[in-house]
Amino acid sequence: MMRKRILSAVLLLAMCAGCSSMGVEPWDRDVLAREDMQLISDPLEAATDDHIYFSKEASSGGRGFGGGGCGCN
Amino acid sequence: MAAALVAADAGAIEMSKYSRKNDRSVSVTLAAATCALLGTGVPAPVDAQEEPKWDFNTSLLYYGEDGDRVQDASFKSIIRRLFVDDRSLSVGITVDTLTGATPSGAIRQDTAQTFTRPSGNSAYSVPAGDLPLDDTFRDTRVALTANWQQPAGEKGLLGLGMSTSKEYDYFHLGLNANYAHDFNNRNTTLSAGIAMARDSIESVGGAPTPLSAMLDVGDVSNRNGDQDKDVMDIVLGVSQVISRDLVMQVNYSYSYSDGYLNNPYKVLSLVDGDTGDTLPRTTPLPPDGGPSGQFLFENRPDERTQHSLYTQAKYNMDGKVLDLSYRYMTDDWEIDSHTVDVRYRWPIGSGSYLEPRLRFYTQSEADFYRLSLDSAQDLPAFASSDYRLGNFDAITAGLKYGWKTRNGNDMSLRVEWYTQSGTVPGEQLIGNQAGRDNYPDLNALIVQFSYRFSR
Repeated sequence: MMRKRILSAVLLLAMCAGCSSMGVEPWDRDVLAREDMQLISDPLEAATDDHIYFSKEASSGGRGFGGGGCGCN
Repeated sequence: MAAALVAADAGAIEMSKYSRKNDRSVSVTLAAATCALLGTGVPAPVDAQEEPKWDFNTSLLYYGEDGDRVQDASFKSIIRRLFVDDRSLSVGITVDTLTGATPSGAIRQDTAQTFTRPSGNSAYSVPAGDLPLDDTFRDTRVALTANWQQPAGEKGLLGLGMSTSKEYDYFHLGLNANYAHDFNNRNTTLSAGIAMARDSIESVGGAPTPLSAMLDVGDVSNRNGDQDKDVMDIVLGVSQVISRDLVMQVNYSYSYSDGYLNNPYKVLSLVDGDTGDTLPRTTPLPPDGGPSGQFLFENRPDERTQHSLYTQAKYNMDGKVLDLSYRYMTDDWEIDSHTVDVRYRWPIGSGSYLEPRLRFYTQSEADFYRLSLDSAQDLPAFASSDYRLGNFDAITAGLKYGWKTRNGNDMSLRVEWYTQSGTVPGEQLIGNQAGRDNYPDLNALIVQFSYRFSR
C-alpha cells in the first residue's frame, strides 16, 4: 500500500514537471477560449447528471463535489 | 451537495461567456473551470468588468422510469451577477417534484405479499410474482445555493459557497471553499476544494431500528425519530493545456460520510434456508393489516470512505469537439466502479450543433449487499438489498441539439435513455430464488430543455 502511494506521488510529480514544457502562448488560445472547449460546457446539464447518477448509482462526484444533499440515496 | 454543484457550475457558465468574448487569458478561464469543477460554484473566470452584468441559465427536466417507477419533473435556474473588479455572486434554485414507486428491497414471491407502509399507517399489497415496489414515494425538493468568488492575487481565484435543500423527509446544509492557482504561463492550474455538509434524515414515521422487523399497521415501537449524517469532500485537481486543441484535467476526490447512512425505507426478506422463500408471519394478520411475511429493515455501516480519480480531455478537431472522461471510484464498502463518458459536439450551421453521447458505468456490489437474509444462519451485522449497492452495468445513450435564438441566446434540448441491468451473485441465491428475476432492472427517459441569456 505504502509503495503504491509513493509510486503515485512520484508519478504525479513527474506529470507536473512534464507540464512545464507543455501549453501554448497567449496568442494561440483562440480555440481553447471557445465555449464548447470548456471542461464543463453546459453547467446545468452537468449538475443534472450528477444528481441523477447520485440517486441511481453508488458512485458520485469525481468531476467536483459529489451529488448528494438529498434523501434519494 | 448536488445543490452545491449546481452553484459551482454557475462559475463555469460565466467562464464560458468570458472566454467567448475575451481570450486574453484562457488560463484564467481554465482556473475558473477547474474551480467550477471542483465544486460549488467556484471561480468563474472573471475578466475585468467595466459594468455590472447579469447572466441567467435555466432548465426544465423530465426524468421518468418505466413500470410506474420514479418520475421527476425539475426546474433549475442559476442567476449570476458580475461586479466590477472580477467579483461575482451566483444564486441557484432547483425544484424537484417526485412521484412513483421504488423497490422496497423485498424479493419476489409466487404468492401475493403485503407490506406496512413506511408511515406505519396503512398497508399495500403486491401481486404474486411481481417485484415488491413501494408506491408511496412522493416528494417535493427545493434546493438553494449561493456562491461568491473573487480574485486572490494575480493568479489565484477564491470561491466560497453554501448550499441547502429541503424535502419532506430530508434537510441538507453545506458549506464549501475552493482555491485555484495558475502556473506555467497560465497553462497549468492547480486547485483544491473542500465541502462539508450536515444532513438530517427525517424519515416518514421515524427511522426504524436497524435489522428490526417490519411491524403491523399502527405499531411504531421500532421507530427512532430523526437521524443525521456528516459528509466531508475534498477535491484536488490539475488542469493542463496540452496544445492549441487539447486541454486535460485530472482530479482526485476524497469523500468521508459519517452517521446514519441507511435507507430508512428499505427492507430485506427473511427467507427459509432451503426453499429461499420468504418466511410467513407467525401471528394472524390483524384487521388493519401488516406484513404477510418476515421483513427486516436494512443496516449499513455508519461510516464510508470513497476515493475517486477522474480524468477528462477535450479535443478540438476542425471545429468538432470530442469530450472524453473516465472515473474510477473505490470505497471501504468494497464497491469499485468505472465510468466512461464520451460526447462529440458537431456544429451544423451557425450556432447550431448536434451532440451524441454515450456513457458506460459498471460497479461491483457492496460487501454487505444481500438479496435476502437466510434464517438458517446468524444475521450479519450489516445487510442491504438496495439495488444501487448491487452489481450492475448501466448505459446512457442520447442526443442533444443546441441552437441560437434570433437575439443570440442559447437553447438546447437533449433526449437520453438510461438503462441499468444487474445480477445477484450466484452464491447468494437460495432454493427457488435461482429461477427468478431477482435484480430490478431499470429503464429511464431523460429529457432536458435549457435556455441561457445575459444582459
